[in-house]
Amino acid sequence: MKLNTKNLISGGLLVLIAVVGLWLNQDHNLGTARRMGPGYMPMLTFWLLAGLGALVVVGALFNGPDPLDDWTKLEILAVPFALVAGFVVFFIARSVGFVGWYPLGFGLLGACLAISVAPGWRPIGLVHAGMAVFGLMLDQFGLMISIVCAVVVATLAEPTHRPKGVLGLVIFLCVLCWWVFIRELDIRVPVWPVFLTQ
Amino acid sequence: MELLIANLAHGFGVALSFENLLFALLGCVIGTAIGVLPGIGPVATISLLLPITFGMSATTAIIMLAGIFYGAQYGGSTTAILLNLPGEVSSVVTTLEGYKMARRGRAGAALATAAIGSFFAGTVSTIIVAASGPLLTQVALSFGPADYFSLMLLGLIISAVLAQGSVVKAIGMVVLGVALGLVGTDVQTGQQRFTFGIPELSDGIGFVPVAMGMFGIAEIILNLERPESRSILSAKVGSLFLTKEEWKRATPSVLRGTALGSLLGILPGGGASLAAFGSYMMERKISKYRHEFGTGAIEGVAGPEAANNAAAQTSFIPLLTLGIPANAVMALMVGALIIQGIQPGPRMVEAQPDLFWGLIASMWVGNLMLLVINLPMIGVWVKLLEVPYKYLYPSILIFCSIGVYSLNNNVFDIYMTLFFGVFGYLCSKLRLEAAPMLIGFVLGPMMEEHLRRAMLLSRGDPYVFIDYQNRPISTVLLAISAVALLSMMLPGIRKGKDKAMAG
Repeated sequence: MKLNTKNLISGGLLVLIAVVGLWLNQDHNLGTARRMGPGYMPMLTFWLLAGLGALVVVGALFNGPDPLDDWTKLEILAVPFALVAGFVVFFIARSVGFVGWYPLGFGLLGACLAISVAPGWRPIGLVHAGMAVFGLMLDQFGLMISIVCAVVVATLAEPTHRPKGVLGLVIFLCVLCWWVFIRELDIRVPVWPVFLTQ
Repeated sequence: MELLIANLAHGFGVALSFENLLFALLGCVIGTAIGVLPGIGPVATISLLLPITFGMSATTAIIMLAGIFYGAQYGGSTTAILLNLPGEVSSVVTTLEGYKMARRGRAGAALATAAIGSFFAGTVSTIIVAASGPLLTQVALSFGPADYFSLMLLGLIISAVLAQGSVVKAIGMVVLGVALGLVGTDVQTGQQRFTFGIPELSDGIGFVPVAMGMFGIAEIILNLERPESRSILSAKVGSLFLTKEEWKRATPSVLRGTALGSLLGILPGGGASLAAFGSYMMERKISKYRHEFGTGAIEGVAGPEAANNAAAQTSFIPLLTLGIPANAVMALMVGALIIQGIQPGPRMVEAQPDLFWGLIASMWVGNLMLLVINLPMIGVWVKLLEVPYKYLYPSILIFCSIGVYSLNNNVFDIYMTLFFGVFGYLCSKLRLEAAPMLIGFVLGPMMEEHLRRAMLLSRGDPYVFIDYQNRPISTVLLAISAVALLSMMLPGIRKGKDKAMAG
């Protein structure tokens, strides 16, 4: 039996999504073929997805070796660590009083930073952390500050960055984004921190 | 025939307005730039710029986005020839002979061949798009909901079948895309599906976050994981003029490439890359100078470059005439049209003559602009490449974030893009193709609508799809889908496709 790990996980993922989908679809009225209810198409789609996923899994038992890249111990541990960290930060943010999308943003930031503990995960962790930072800061701190913070976090993902280079990049992006998005396109976003302009 | 000329004249009237010329130029310049730069492609860029097209007229928006798409085909060849670095997937083939030509000191000739061949192919394929529009529209107007459903199904199946790697996984991704498209409010009953009570999801998952996350952000991560390799500029660009012999050799290849590319572009899932590979294979088999392949044969540049540009243009045909996206970029165009309140489909040619003929005329104008941009401005593009990726990726990240925020002024969209960035990375590692998913995502809701209508009209009888007497179109389309699926099961054909895809 030649195990194809990638296909095994792919198929498993598809089946998992299908099962979750079918479970969520329980409350939707199926209707009849003639008068389809809201649950009809999802039912068809998720059953088809489950079938295809199962096919992939079965095929994966014989498709020949296609292993995942080797993970270091730290990388393996970082995944559950990040998931736990994400949820913990999410609930803390909620209980501290943040409303709206802030808890989600904090949770995502927490998860991304937690996974960056492992050097192999730094690109994915820090680039996404930069995005989370941007989302968290944009409404209150304005565009300029958000760009600065997001870029600083994202550049941590590339070890060859030097402080001078990052500074230059930040200034360049602030000017460019101001020109393109504020001056030319006039999008509705605070440019400077909200508490400064009030 | 006179009608065609009258329509084209009308189209040029639209395309040559100052605003449309400006945005065509902008699209072409941006397209060339991203074609030159590895690591960012037309899908990510177009999804990035979609929010900006809100404020424009539909015609102007599509003109600019189209310019980005076929401009990227031109740009990709520049780096392929000079640095052995394909800027786009469709330029991989150009590196094979083009870079060898550059090392022999004929970089200028290779660049000129690519640009002129692409321009010729662009001209011919634009005429094909113009001619096919009204023709196909006639056919499509007799489509009933069952026929539409079968046509979309055919589109999905072919895009899965022609995707890289496992067909079963690609179909799985298509179905996953359809499933994601189901999130939101059910149009017919008004019930919220899979929205978890989140009001931002009541209109469904935005496809800009999906496209940007899976094609833009995921690509950044993958690029950061690969150590940057700097290719040395092989030689000075040299003279851009071709010798008489080179003209003679390149011309038949350009003609063949144009024909092949025009055909393959219409095929859903086909597109520019398939056309380029196909043309290279064809030139290797047919050309009189095939013994020179591997040392810098001009046919290996002329044919594929003409093919990929022809395919880029003709891949608009299914979109403009039938409302079916042939590839991921066209799926985004569908989105752009829907944002503008235009329903893509056979009625669009009649209802929006400015858009259809203006776009066609603009495609030719754009090709002309690209010819000018690419050859004299080669030096500028090469300088652009010297910017290290470590400065590019934060810029891409910021543009993505701002762009996606400006859709709804809601940071939720930024978090959605984040999620799909992670998901896209995961899929890439598992060899699950993202493009079929995007096409399924766009077509899914439309397919559901047609399925519902078909079933309503037939009173729940599924036989309506293969009722040959009354619905021949649907039967034929489903038969083609079945043939396409089954043929991929045959190991011989599958190996051939895998070989072509692997270059």
